[in-house]
Amino acid sequence: MSKSSQRSPFGWSNRGGQVTVIEAPVARSYRRRAVIAFWVTLGVVGLLAAMVASEYLHPILGGLLGVVLGAVLGAVVFALIVAWPVLRVFWHWLPEIVFGLAVVYGWTTLMESTPLWGSLLIVALVVGVPAAIAPVRRRVMAWIWCLIVRHRLRLCFAAFIATNRHGSLPLILLARPTPAGERVWVWLRPGLSLRDLEQDDQVQKLAVACWANEVRVMRAGRKYAALIRIDITRREPLAHTVVSPLPDYVPRDVPANAPTSPGMPPVGLDLPDVPDVPVSAPTDTPRQRKPRNPTTPTASPNGFDPSDYA
Amino acid sequence: MDLTDTIELPPQPDAPQTVPVGAGLSIFDPVFLGIDEFGHPAYLPMIYRNILIGGEPGAGKSSLLNTIVGHAALCPDVRLCLLDGKQVELGLWKDAADVFVGPDMDHAIRTLRRVQTVMDNRYSFLLARRRRKIGPNDLFGQILVACDEIAYFSATAGDKKDQDLFAALLRDIVARGRAVGIIVAAATQRPSSDIIPPSLRDLFAWRFAGRCTNDVSSDIVLGHGWYARGFSSNSIDPNNQGEGYLIAEGGIPNRVKAAYMTDADIIRVADYATWTRRRSGLAAPADLRTAA
Repeated sequence: MSKSSQRSPFGWSNRGGQVTVIEAPVARSYRRRAVIAFWVTLGVVGLLAAMVASEYLHPILGGLLGVVLGAVLGAVVFALIVAWPVLRVFWHWLPEIVFGLAVVYGWTTLMESTPLWGSLLIVALVVGVPAAIAPVRRRVMAWIWCLIVRHRLRLCFAAFIATNRHGSLPLILLARPTPAGERVWVWLRPGLSLRDLEQDDQVQKLAVACWANEVRVMRAGRKYAALIRIDITRREPLAHTVVSPLPDYVPRDVPANAPTSPGMPPVGLDLPDVPDVPVSAPTDTPRQRKPRNPTTPTASPNGFDPSDYA
Repeated sequence: MDLTDTIELPPQPDAPQTVPVGAGLSIFDPVFLGIDEFGHPAYLPMIYRNILIGGEPGAGKSSLLNTIVGHAALCPDVRLCLLDGKQVELGLWKDAADVFVGPDMDHAIRTLRRVQTVMDNRYSFLLARRRRKIGPNDLFGQILVACDEIAYFSATAGDKKDQDLFAALLRDIVARGRAVGIIVAAATQRPSSDIIPPSLRDLFAWRFAGRCTNDVSSDIVLGHGWYARGFSSNSIDPNNQGEGYLIAEGGIPNRVKAAYMTDADIIRVADYATWTRRRSGLAAPADLRTAA
């Protein structure tokens, strides 16, 4: 059982020139949770294990065994929770870590099993063929953007999205490539809502942070308010003209240049052809009355008119 | 002579070589609007719905309105009632339409009054039959009231009284026409409160915002609050005509690119629609009605 004087290898103390990996308040919060988790695990596992062990052993021995088992499991849980801020970073970077390991070990294995020219040939094929085929290259780039966007969003959430009292950030779920960019699903923790992402030009800040053109946030479905969807746009997939299918319903022999009626003669089509008629003031205009409660028109600088939303 | 015998008709020398066959569309089919940003087709069910189309000049509003009118023109169960202060945007459909209103305020008001009367009569009919709304195979067809540039009628032409009357009639048709198959599709550049009364604007369930000159204009078309969530049609490339945000089923703006018909396409579709409609007796020549 760790007393507060003991020091963790993850360094919530900066005594003796240690580097602070986890900030002090976060570390304190996690340690408090870890202590609670230790005692709860000890209690629950200890009782259960003691009950089961008492069936086979002397009750006192069984009880002792239960306490030992509970303490061991509690210590494991304690260590996991205390180390979680660091483990979480590993989890966040897992794809990159796995990829890096695969590259290093793959290259080593390749060099051991084939001669140098064979290794280079295989590498050139593995890298070059996807790079040369445009659809594959685009798909790979889209996946890479998904990875990047997850890191960028996490950065945004930590930097300027309001967190709840415990400091827990929104949970980033799946990220998927779309023709326009990426779509990321996010689960909001208690204390947050969609409004927190909408206020004060937050989406514009998100777009800047994600190196994107624009970002849109919306609910992902009607069932959970916590599940939201973030659409990140970095390409313009709608640039081409879409041809309407309606002409396909028309038989081919219908001409496009049906005879037009002779219609009106081309008179009055230019300015000199139109006479300059004096404006006749309406005769029955009521006298302008001064309102009893004059309301000053409030013109806002950006053209916002409150009555538009009345 | 039994049933298997064929009857030979006497040859008719002046019989046409072909008979008009309608396109087989129905207004109960969703209208193909374009594609969304995932490349999927965007369909817009127009029956029992109304749509408001906004955006700056050249944003593709009229193109979208033409797509909707074109679909309706090919539906044998729809009568067209077109109001266009600019004449040429919907003018190519003039012969296929039952009523075509140019820049004529009196005619516009008379037309809306007629539609309003039809609406009242249909509701009386439905009440007498103990029904609440019309169906696909009803005694009467649907009516599409398409209005390009509402601002001309509601803020520019005529005097204040006429403009208010026009807005009130249109509001009534939008509000009550839904269940009896009277569909309103209206386009305008900036539907702010000085152009269209907010009480009319907010009745339109579906919105299409082409490119707008600023974020507030976009919010006026789509509804308040969408800009804050990142939906602003101000970000659309001005050269990309026809792209915009569409609020339809789902209630969330969807970025779509509206389909485009060239003038030649519109003329072909309109002539074909006119041909099939006149022969089937649904549409009477618009000229006769307007002359009356």
